[in-house]
Amino acid sequence: MRVLIIDPDPARAALVAEGLDGIDPLKVRVAAVFDEIDVTAFQPDVVVVASESPDRDTLESLREASAVNPRPVVMFVDRSEPGLAEEAVRAGVAAYVVDGLSAARVRPVLEVAMSRFHLMHQLRADLAKAKADLASRKSVERAKALLMKERDLDEEAAYRLLRKLSMDTGRPLGAVAADLLAFAGVLKGGDPT
Amino acid sequence: MSPSGPLQLGFIPLVDAAPLIVAQEKGFFAAEGLAVSLSREGSWATIRDKVAAGALDGAHMLAPMVLAASLGIGSEPKAMIAPIALNRGGAAVTLSSRLTGDGDAGAGLTHLVRRRQEEGASPLTLAAVYPFSIHNYLLRHWLAGLGLNPDVDIRLTVVPPPRTAALLGEGVIEGFCAGAPWNAVAEAAGVGQTVVRMTEVWPEAPDKVLGVTEFWAAANPAILQSLIRALARAGAWAADPHNQPELVALLARPEFLDAAPEAIAAGLAEISFDGAAVNPPRREQAAWLLEQMARWGQIGEVAIDKVAERTWRPDLYTAALGG
Repeated sequence: MRVLIIDPDPARAALVAEGLDGIDPLKVRVAAVFDEIDVTAFQPDVVVVASESPDRDTLESLREASAVNPRPVVMFVDRSEPGLAEEAVRAGVAAYVVDGLSAARVRPVLEVAMSRFHLMHQLRADLAKAKADLASRKSVERAKALLMKERDLDEEAAYRLLRKLSMDTGRPLGAVAADLLAFAGVLKGGDPT
Repeated sequence: MSPSGPLQLGFIPLVDAAPLIVAQEKGFFAAEGLAVSLSREGSWATIRDKVAAGALDGAHMLAPMVLAASLGIGSEPKAMIAPIALNRGGAAVTLSSRLTGDGDAGAGLTHLVRRRQEEGASPLTLAAVYPFSIHNYLLRHWLAGLGLNPDVDIRLTVVPPPRTAALLGEGVIEGFCAGAPWNAVAEAAGVGQTVVRMTEVWPEAPDKVLGVTEFWAAANPAILQSLIRALARAGAWAADPHNQPELVALLARPEFLDAAPEAIAAGLAEISFDGAAVNPPRREQAAWLLEQMARWGQIGEVAIDKVAERTWRPDLYTAALGG
């Protein structure tokens, strides 16, 4: 089976391709955009496409022009498994197959794609959170140093003051620290950022 | 709708998404008590699937897409309805500057097609934006008027609108039919020339509509009424010439169209957003669209009146806004 993955996100496409490794026999190709010449040469049996890709509309047109097009496709919907199509939509994946390919052969491919899309989403969310945590920790360190200098506090007392501000205002420690730094910048006449 | 969250509405970055964008940004949704989250989508297919699966409550849709989805042409059948039409006009056919030259663009195209046929060369490629769109039907109708058979003499494909100018410049396609602002974008890039506009051929053709599932409409009648009112008022705001500069700046924003203000302004000049001739979904329009679909072999025999009655819902429009 030949699988073409069209995804503007190359890291996610690679993740899906890697996940398909276990399915045999298989030939996988990854592309950021639909390219007719490329597709005609590769002759995929299944096209897995990211929902955000505008190429979905081009893929849908292929069955329209079946008289001249070498690869008529139909979107994969497995009637034997209600909810699968909805699940794929929510995961951000669509699959097109060459007419006649059996559902049993397509489903594992789609399942791998869905799970990898979920995984990538989770990884990205984790990364964003880690970045935010790091930025927040840096703000707290700098705000602490500022308080130690301006208010002549030791580190422990400066931290307690920040934490009290956070609890009094009901806002996260990092946000309170960032505000403090911004205000200090304004008061000194500097750039608040 | 998710039980507590905001209403999720999808749009494609086009000038005619203005009623949704204006309703959100100028407070017409809020005035109706609606909390809305707008979601920019990359393809019509994804719009259709998300609405069908309930991941979106409703969306900016190509008018014929509501019919195709309901009939199960090109996707699993899902009963969808159009309770308000969003606009008329804006679609146009743009041909490569290589073809238009100084003279009659249509004659030039016909001549080139025939010459290539004599030489045994591959047919020219022209693009529409989606199979079930008045853009596709306009392009085909215009070609037929030139004496060309769009299924034989031309290779018709689908290209995402934001890529039309680049593909025209590269010579991958020789022309396309798309909505605003993409014709103006190609002209501004110097790669194409607009040769025929929807307003010149079918001025009354409905372009985009609000599409929701029949199921959602039945489950959320009060919300749907508010939605129709907000979109109608946003359309009136968008149509007011006094608001044009603000509208252009709003649509140009990166989270909406992310396109050149000049191209957006040029597109707006072609589009009607407001009025008794624009917004009420008239059943004869649905019937006309079904005839176009049949003309080009997309559908076989269907009970046109029955389909039009079930999908085009002037009753809901009137209930929300009065006769």
